[in-house]
Amino acid sequence: MKKIVYALMATVTGLVLLFSYRTSTVPESTSALADAPSSDVAMVPKTTPSPSASASSGSSSTSSGSSSAQTSSSGLTDGAFTGQAANTRFGPVQVQITVSGGAITDVQVPQYPSESGRDQQINSRALPVLVKETVQAQSAEVDMVSGATYTSTGYRTSLQSALDQARA
Amino acid sequence: MTAAFTVVEPVMGTVASITVVSERTERVERAIAACVARLRDDERVFSTYRDDSDISRLRDEGLELGDVDPRVAEVAADCRDLRERSGGRFDAHWRGWFDPTGYVKGWSTDAATRAFDELLADGEVEAVGVNVGGDMRLRTAATSDHVWRIGIAHPTHEGELLATVEVVDGAVATSGTSERGAHLVDPRTGVHLAGPVSATVIADDLTTADAWATVAAIAGIDDLDWMPVAPVASGIVWEHGRTRRFAGRVEVSAFHDALVG
Repeated sequence: MKKIVYALMATVTGLVLLFSYRTSTVPESTSALADAPSSDVAMVPKTTPSPSASASSGSSSTSSGSSSAQTSSSGLTDGAFTGQAANTRFGPVQVQITVSGGAITDVQVPQYPSESGRDQQINSRALPVLVKETVQAQSAEVDMVSGATYTSTGYRTSLQSALDQARA
Repeated sequence: MTAAFTVVEPVMGTVASITVVSERTERVERAIAACVARLRDDERVFSTYRDDSDISRLRDEGLELGDVDPRVAEVAADCRDLRERSGGRFDAHWRGWFDPTGYVKGWSTDAATRAFDELLADGEVEAVGVNVGGDMRLRTAATSDHVWRIGIAHPTHEGELLATVEVVDGAVATSGTSERGAHLVDPRTGVHLAGPVSATVIADDLTTADAWATVAAIAGIDDLDWMPVAPVASGIVWEHGRTRRFAGRVEVSAFHDALVG
């Protein structure tokens, strides 16, 4: 088990390095506010998979973590794992990974950096979650569909049109 | 949980789907009518398909901004600002005359959705979503725990979803070359994008989300340089089967790709 945790720690260190690479592309004006990215991050395994918004939406693989942790040949334990917050120049960033069947099936950033706090409400849920196997809108139970602008003719065969008819 | 109903109205060469989570009262019907009226009036001012629109007259009759509807000057100032902030990836003047078509729909939808302000404030409406041609402004009353669950259409697999996103109060916009009739031109070169490319951006309002979704689609999947300075919450870019996601001004999908290999 200890070995597994170390493996995850290495993974998170990799993430932090990627963060610092990303954030280094920002203009000087914002970097003046910055703290140096912290690298002392450890993973804290949760006993149960996190019931985050992302885990319940669309991707079937993220909901499969069971309470009895299983280790596969990849050395990764099934479940959701949350890293300690890393300080970036934008504020704290915290990474959560979901492991299913020994593979990392999702990476989320549950604690978003926010300069003002103003957009915290929208940020708290507004990360697009990839649908693993593309699914029909109806089976994904969505309220609306966003897509490249359709004409009034294109609308008739759109997913949005199908949803609208169901709710007229 | 109150049931939702949807009203569909043709506007701006596309269709507006207005979904309201509330009882269908007379007050709610009046707000829907006011919302549609605002969209149609902005279309009257900004349509490039009508010779008598303020935009067409500005181009054809040599008028100044001061001679036409004041909304045009407001949008023109916004577009200048966006051209600068996007490093020229958005430019309403690329054809040599002022054509804010790529900006007006989101801006107008935000304005039109304000028809529901009072109803949301006093709780008569729990939530309202206005989807104009695939770009939407979503509002939820402070007293409600409603969450909008939005699907992002797959750019090439018709009828399927690429991703989902949950929004309480904000906007979701997608720009791309994928749907019928949709095309994009890089204002820096005048070249039509070959595609298929699709960019979805989530922001506080649709003016911002729509404008930056256009910027993201023009930039393409290999250029996220605009993202750290964009006032947006998160998004996803898809091109030729590759995806990149970002949130809080950091890229997220790169980690996923790096980890999964």
